[in-house]
This record gives sequence, structure tokens and C-alpha cells, in this order.
Amino acid sequence: MAMTPSWLYYLCGALMLVVAAYCLVSLVVELAAHRPSGWDIDLTHTFMGVSMAGQAVARWAFGPRVVWEVIFATLLIWFLARTVRSMQRYGPHLSHFMVHAAMSLAMLLMYWFPVQTVGTSPAGSMSLLTKASKLDPGLAFVLASIFLSSAMFTLASANKGRSHHGTHVPTYAMSGAARPGTSPRRAERGLIPAGGIPEFVGAPWLEDASHVVLCVLMAFLLFAMN
Amino acid sequence: MVVMVTESGVGMSIAERPGGNALAATCGSGEFANDEYRRPRDFRESLLLVLATLWLLDAVLQIQRCMFTPGSSGLSGMLNSMARGNPSWIAHTVTWNASMVYHQPVLTNTFFALIQFLIAFGIVSKRTRKPALALSIAWALGVWWFGEGLGELLSGGATPFRGSPGAVLFYALLAVLLWPSEGSDGPFVAARTVGLNAARIIWVAVWAVMALLAVAGSGRSPRVLHDLVAGMNSGQPGWLAAVDRCVESLFLHHASPLAISLAIVCFVVAIGVILPPALTRATLALAVVVFAIIWVATQNFGGILAGGATDPNSGPLVIVLALTYWPLTDTRGTSSAVASGPVVAATEADR
Repeated sequence: MAMTPSWLYYLCGALMLVVAAYCLVSLVVELAAHRPSGWDIDLTHTFMGVSMAGQAVARWAFGPRVVWEVIFATLLIWFLARTVRSMQRYGPHLSHFMVHAAMSLAMLLMYWFPVQTVGTSPAGSMSLLTKASKLDPGLAFVLASIFLSSAMFTLASANKGRSHHGTHVPTYAMSGAARPGTSPRRAERGLIPAGGIPEFVGAPWLEDASHVVLCVLMAFLLFAMN
Repeated sequence: MVVMVTESGVGMSIAERPGGNALAATCGSGEFANDEYRRPRDFRESLLLVLATLWLLDAVLQIQRCMFTPGSSGLSGMLNSMARGNPSWIAHTVTWNASMVYHQPVLTNTFFALIQFLIAFGIVSKRTRKPALALSIAWALGVWWFGEGLGELLSGGATPFRGSPGAVLFYALLAVLLWPSEGSDGPFVAARTVGLNAARIIWVAVWAVMALLAVAGSGRSPRVLHDLVAGMNSGQPGWLAAVDRCVESLFLHHASPLAISLAIVCFVVAIGVILPPALTRATLALAVVVFAIIWVATQNFGGILAGGATDPNSGPLVIVLALTYWPLTDTRGTSSAVASGPVVAATEADR
């Protein structure tokens, strides 16, 4: 039997929870500031972080499966609709909504092809798993490749914050100088805008980092399902 | 709508995009404060990001369950098998490495994965790109020796159908060809890094070696080629196993013609870079198509779908290599003007 170090899954689970917590705070800050751009991405990342933490460490999972399935099916439809709308408006392009639709699909697949825990060891679930049914590894590979590419291209993009706000939406994330109360020099570099914790939470590079972490961890889980 | 590859990247002229007017209107309303945001990514930059993505894929594959397992079903078993058929002094170095992994699977595998994460994220950042690429060259050469047993070159079992002369060598080669530089204008990305003549020599040498490996040693043996695919069959999804069965049958009955055909293709591709651009594109497209088929049919995506693979094998890397030689339609300096010109014009018109 394969011997997975349990700390690896705890680390992944912890990272996912950190991302979920960050996105939840970001969502609250955005709504409180009446600046709801990117709220759907923050909400999605929160759900994904919490859900995947439960996939990596079985005892951290909670809530009925069907509820999670409904959530991710709804998000899939939402992002597909936003992808179509974005294409109608700006022509053919690789919308970040498309990536989030793929991420929602991956989450659904994780529930449709569940991994069953055979032990209650705190050492995590995935090292002690048997599979009820198996996700086609070809599909898992395609999705993982999309997420890893998204992670790299997001990190390298000059449009900091694109993972949350896209490349066409009017947003401070794409031109920090346009946003009131923003330190121009730092904003130009996509770093921390001036203005304390709420502004730090909304820093474009941090938004992108949360997306990158989720993409890499999701790819890891998809391979772990094979 | 015209799709073109310029030094500034693969894409459409903004003015030619459906919805181009909407985008121009968006620009005009002040949403894009900096030209940098609307300039297409440099083609070399895009290829570097693809290379970084492949390194990230390798890193994620390295932390699969089976990699931490000692014994023949784990990484050490995989490494041990690479010693087979090599001269004893090379085999000894490979088994030495395998024994280290055997005794400390978690420690060594975690280290291997961290190195690959470091390379992947290092390549993305412009500040750390050169050290990351240098590390990737050193790492790739080390893995080629200690992990792949020199790509089976000395054991007589090397064939491009299997990924020889070694998938990991292509990582090193791409790091050299995509090394950040401000070289003079060249007809393709690789020429701008190492110079036109050096790039052509590298290209011809690589494809000549692959042509030779296709027909030398056991490269034409029906049994060897059949067993190569049959050995990959285990654990593959049904649709890929079905493809494998067809390929096994093909190799069993037509191994020599297939190997010789591959050698001819490699030879044609080798001389493709010294032909006029239109013919160069045709030969590069041929290389891309042939290696896409090989990647699926004989390399089985590097065995990733069956679990337990550490890399996607040579298929995607050869395709990226071909793209570094893809003739650019424009020269440095004018291409960015071509790509961004219509946007700027539209923006100014909107004001």
C-alpha cells in the first residue's frame, strides 16, 4: 500500500482553510465597502477551500454531500453564463470565468466520484482510501493541466488581480492609480495599496495568490484521485 | 480574422477581433491606464510560462502517494529499473541514487518536489528567472544521469517512441533556448537567444540523434516496440488501453516500416529550419503532429493516467521545442507596434 506522509495532507488542508478564510474576509470587506467586484470569485474560493480541506483530511469534512453538490453545480452554471456573457461582450478570449467554471466542475467530480475513508486515523483520509468508483484519469489530467497553466499565467500576468476581476472589468486591480486612496507607486506594481487591513485584504497580488494556491492544490487532489 | 505568431505572441490583431469595438470603447473609457496591460505577451515569455507549467506539473506529480512508497512499487523501484542494461559504472550510480531514495523516501522525495516547485515558480518571476533556469539545467542533467540512466542511450533500448534520448534533456535544452536575452533580431525565438547558426546546429543535431535512435539498436525490433507499449498498458483507462492494443498490433507487424518512417520524419524536420519560412512551418507542424501522436499512442502521456509517473515524457517538450523555432511574422520593434497599434488608435479616437 502506498504510504503517504500524513503531514502532506494536513498541510494541504491547512492551506485550503487559510485560502478560504482569506476569501471570506475579502468578501466581507468588499461588501462592507460597497465594492462588490469579484464577490463571486471570493465566495467560490471560500466554498472550494472548505470543501477541499475536507477532501484532504476526512475529519475536517462537514455538511451533507448533496448540499456541496448543489453549491458547485450552481457555481458551474453561474460561471458558464458569465463566460458566455464575457465572450458576447469582448469576443473570443480565455476568460477567467472559464477557469472558475472548470474549477467548479472539478469540485463536482470530486463529489461524484467519492473517495471513501476506511479508517478514522487523524493521519488523513487519502492515504487510507479505497475508491467506490474512479474518475477518468484523462479528464482529471486535462483539468489539472488547465489549473496549473492558470496558476502560472496568473502569476506572470501584468494585470494583477485578474484572477478575481478579469482583464476587461473596470477595476482598480488593473490600474491602481485609478482607485481613490491608493498609493500609486505600490498600486502600479500590484502590491499593497495604502489604507490598512481592508486594503491589504483587497491587494491584487494576494487575490491572485489565493487563486494560485487553490489551482495547485486542486491539481494535486485530482491526481490523488487516480 | 487573422491568427498570427509575432514576437509579441500568438493572437489576433485587436482590430480584427469580434467585439473589437467594445474593447476599444473599454480602453477609451480609461479602464486601461497603462499600455503594458493591453500589450500581448511576448512569445518567448509565453513559451517560458509553458515550460514553467510543465515543471509545476512535474512537482505535483512528485508528491503523488506512490512516490513516497519504498520498494519496487515506489520511486526507488522505478529508479532501480533505469539501471538495467547500462554499463556497470553508470548502473552503479543509478542504483546508489535509488538506494538513497529507498532508505529515505519521504525526505528525498520531498526534496525532489521542492526543487521542482522552486524551478517552476522561479521561472515565472523575471527577477528569479535566470537562476531558476540555471537550476533547471543542472537538475535536468542530474536526473538524466541518476534518474533516467542516460535515457537508455547506452543500453541499446533508446527510441523516440519511448522518449529517448530522455525527456528531461529537453527541459535543459529549452532552458538554454529560452534563456532571457536581448539578442539581435532573428527569424524565431531560439535564434534570438543563442544566435541563428547555433540554433540551427542545435536543431539539426537533436533531430539527427532522434532519427538515428529511431532505427539504431533495438529501435526497429517488433518485440521491443510491442513490449514498450504493452508495458505501459497496465492501469491505463479503457480508451487508452484500446489505443495501446492497436499500437501493439501495429508494432508487432510493421515495426520496421514505422521506425524507418519516424527516422525519415525526423530527418525532414531536421532540415526544415534551413528551408524557406513556409516550408519550415510545414515541417514544424509535421513534428508537432507526429509527436502529439507519439505522446498519446506510445508514451501514453508519460504514464500519468496510470499513476506513478514523474513527468509527461518527451511529447509536449518536443512540441514546445518546435514552437521555439516557429518563424515569426514580424521583427522585434515593429511587432509590438503592429499588435498594439489598433488599440492605441482606437483609444485616441474615443477620446
